[in-house]
Amino acid sequence: MTSNPTSPAPRATLAASPSAIGASAAHRPARETTRRGELVATGLTRRFGSVVAVDSVSLTLKAGEIHGLIGPNGSGKTTFLNLLTGYYKVDEGRIVVDADDLTAAPVQRRPHFGIARTFQKPRLLGSLTVLDNAMLGGWEHAQSGFLETALALPRARREDRQQRELAAELLHGVGLGNILTRRANLLDHAEQRFLEIARGLTMRPSFILLDEPAGGLTEHEIEQLARIVVQLRECGVGVLIVEHHTDFVFRICDRVTTLNLGKMIKHGTPDEVRNDPEVIRVYLGA
Amino acid sequence: MLTALITGLAIGALYAAAALAYNVMYSTSKVLSVTTGHIFMVSGVVGAYLIGELKLPTVVGFFGAAAAGVVFGLITEFVAIRRVLARSDEHLWLLSTLALATIIQQGVGLWWGTEPKPFPRLIPQDFTAGIWDQKFWLPIATVAVLMVGLELFYRRTLFGKIFIAVSEDAFAARARGVATDRVRAISYAIAGLLGGIAGFAAGQLTYAYFALGLSLTLNGFIALAVGGLGSNMGAVVGGIVLGLLTSIATFYFGGAYQQTIAVGLLMTFLLVKPEGLFGDKRTRHV
Amino acid sequence: MNSHQGRLAVLLVGLVALATLPFWAHDPYQVHLATLIGAYWILVAGLNLVVGYTGLLSIGHVGLLAIGSYAFAILVDHHGANPYVAMLAAGAIGGVCGFILGLPSLRLPGFYFAMATMAFSMIVSEFLLAQDSLTGGGAGIAVPGFNKPFDTPNGLFWLVMLIAAFVTWLTWNVSRLMWGRAMIALRDSDVAAAAVGVPVFSIKLIVYTFSGVTAAVAGALFGSLQSYVTPETFHFELGLFFFICIVIGGRGAIIGPLLGTIVLTALPEVVAPLAKLGQFFYGALLLLVVLLVPEGIGNLVKIVREKIRPRRLEKHVVAPDLARLAAAIGNRSAS
Repeated sequence: MTSNPTSPAPRATLAASPSAIGASAAHRPARETTRRGELVATGLTRRFGSVVAVDSVSLTLKAGEIHGLIGPNGSGKTTFLNLLTGYYKVDEGRIVVDADDLTAAPVQRRPHFGIARTFQKPRLLGSLTVLDNAMLGGWEHAQSGFLETALALPRARREDRQQRELAAELLHGVGLGNILTRRANLLDHAEQRFLEIARGLTMRPSFILLDEPAGGLTEHEIEQLARIVVQLRECGVGVLIVEHHTDFVFRICDRVTTLNLGKMIKHGTPDEVRNDPEVIRVYLGA
Repeated sequence: MLTALITGLAIGALYAAAALAYNVMYSTSKVLSVTTGHIFMVSGVVGAYLIGELKLPTVVGFFGAAAAGVVFGLITEFVAIRRVLARSDEHLWLLSTLALATIIQQGVGLWWGTEPKPFPRLIPQDFTAGIWDQKFWLPIATVAVLMVGLELFYRRTLFGKIFIAVSEDAFAARARGVATDRVRAISYAIAGLLGGIAGFAAGQLTYAYFALGLSLTLNGFIALAVGGLGSNMGAVVGGIVLGLLTSIATFYFGGAYQQTIAVGLLMTFLLVKPEGLFGDKRTRHV
Repeated sequence: MNSHQGRLAVLLVGLVALATLPFWAHDPYQVHLATLIGAYWILVAGLNLVVGYTGLLSIGHVGLLAIGSYAFAILVDHHGANPYVAMLAAGAIGGVCGFILGLPSLRLPGFYFAMATMAFSMIVSEFLLAQDSLTGGGAGIAVPGFNKPFDTPNGLFWLVMLIAAFVTWLTWNVSRLMWGRAMIALRDSDVAAAAVGVPVFSIKLIVYTFSGVTAAVAGALFGSLQSYVTPETFHFELGLFFFICIVIGGRGAIIGPLLGTIVLTALPEVVAPLAKLGQFFYGALLLLVVLLVPEGIGNLVKIVREKIRPRRLEKHVVAPDLARLAAAIGNRSAS
């Protein structure tokens, strides 16, 4: 499965700046991670008592694709995201990444399958710096055990240094390079959101699932977010955006899925979805 | 053997009272206070002081002990709970109640001394009554009355209904105009009253001893965990089970391993049925 | 950076002063006190990872201290073991006990876990009293000293200092490398921790086991220093004291709890009225700290500094550098 579908020329040219060339050579990762191809959710259903929050919803997220998941409040999009990431157990259905079935995998195992996520309300470690927070994502690829770390053996120190370099580059990449040493509880809303994205990227994921990333951002910040997400696609990462902000979704997504009351009502390209009468009815009210 | 059973029932009644006190405080604050056991200690010491040392009439001692319990309950709320609940750190109240418990225990130890002192006779009775000695049936009868009183309070009085409302959904209660702060303070006063009366009644069983607090905090908690957090019936059953278990085990195997047996019971329940016998499976554990 | 070099210099001077303490101390009692602080710190350093970094409220660690003391004494006196080997064996036993205690307890929520650790320390007391053929029961047990070259009070002081320095270095490493961030994530946001793949339970168990080892080693040294211990020596309040040192010192740091241990151990010695108050003072101090400076006094300096000189946080417009972003992510094809 190829990871780079043909797409319009990316907004930023890759090799233009010398720093990029130098940067990419500096941190070849110690352990090459294989990039996954597809995250396939089939017929996911989740009930809370008698309420069916998610009703047999299927969705495929490909590497190198931006997939939007929209729907009015209460449509089940956040619940669906929580099913994908393991915060809720599915009642019915399967979640598969390439050949691996992760339907029963607990939350902390999902990163192992290349899945990263951000949260609607950013979950950061306020007492640590921006850089430290981003480095947390490196845990997935840190192999040093407790004793190794306690004795500061070479591998532990090397891994720490590599995670630091990677996190710093990613933070510069999302635009937080000037506040690496700021304590996370002093960040404003947009900075928190971008930090969470950087942390997710430090995990070297194949798929990153963004939970209402545009919420609370200014027009300018949403523009920056869009550029970042498009760049992620160019790099072969699969992005799922759960979003309320339909303009943003229709602008950058390759495919869009719409939910209402837990069921999928339309799936297709942004144009197809945007012009679908059922979607219009649901969003603009009856 | 009969003595062991009666002793078990009596001490079990005391544990049940502690578990009830936990429930009352937890219902309005979602806090399990380390000071719970110390309410009983304070009232026992005050009662012994008033009657034993100051030679005041039993009635005065009773009201004094009950008042001491109420005051200590209120102090717990104002000092250790109120300010702390405003901050989001959920472990902070554990530290504050732990600190307050230490202060009161050590303070009483400094004033009263660290040796257990005998609690005076409340009703004229010689010491040959065996299993009919008041040190057994006083706590049993008192706790039975207290439990009935508590149930009547919750079900028959307006205040009680407000309590239940606050315990089930504090946010909604506040939206309806209930002063949740005051309700919480009153519930701590009620727990103090409960502990004050029960501690006074059980004084002849436990002696007036400064270190009683911590032991009762732990054993009352075990009774609570066995019976189920939030259930008053569970508190009583849990207390009786714990009391009988330790008493009978002491009878057969000697008293050296009382605490170990009690904790063994706790661990068994926490592993097998963590919500307790009567607890709600969905109860959010503290 | 000047402040960094300044701090290094202070540290160096402090270390030299510490190493030469027996020579400039006024009387042997001060050496005894310093050794005691060192032994306490060995336990607190390990417990710091558990409480200050991972956020677990273990208030019963005194039980592990007791196990270390008694195991050491029994191995040397009843079985003729070499004291150094016995100390390491005691550490191993402490680790096993920490593991066994942690296994069922670490899954429990905060209050339940705290109660479980408190119950553990009470069980240890019961056990020590009851098994009097092994432990001497209420009468207690004599704890032997070490062999050459650490067989004098000064020698014990240096042994404790060496081990304390080593343990401090271990915990410092853990705190500043990847494990440190993972532990803080467990403390402050287990949602974030799970989202990045941190295995919550096994990290807690490993750190807790480590703290059992350090506590038991501290117990061996502590017992040797006191030369005679009883179950009363390991009353619950002592476990509370260790816990308070960390909370007051400040979480998420090594220096804070270290200073906390030093100050809180030495204070009752220096200020006589406080000695009479004893635990009452510690409880009152804990309450004050929790109500006024919950982050701990160690972090108070940071907080005060930020209040006095509020750095104007320049509001930069977020400007992504897509080239660096792309380079960092890399462009790898799928398997």
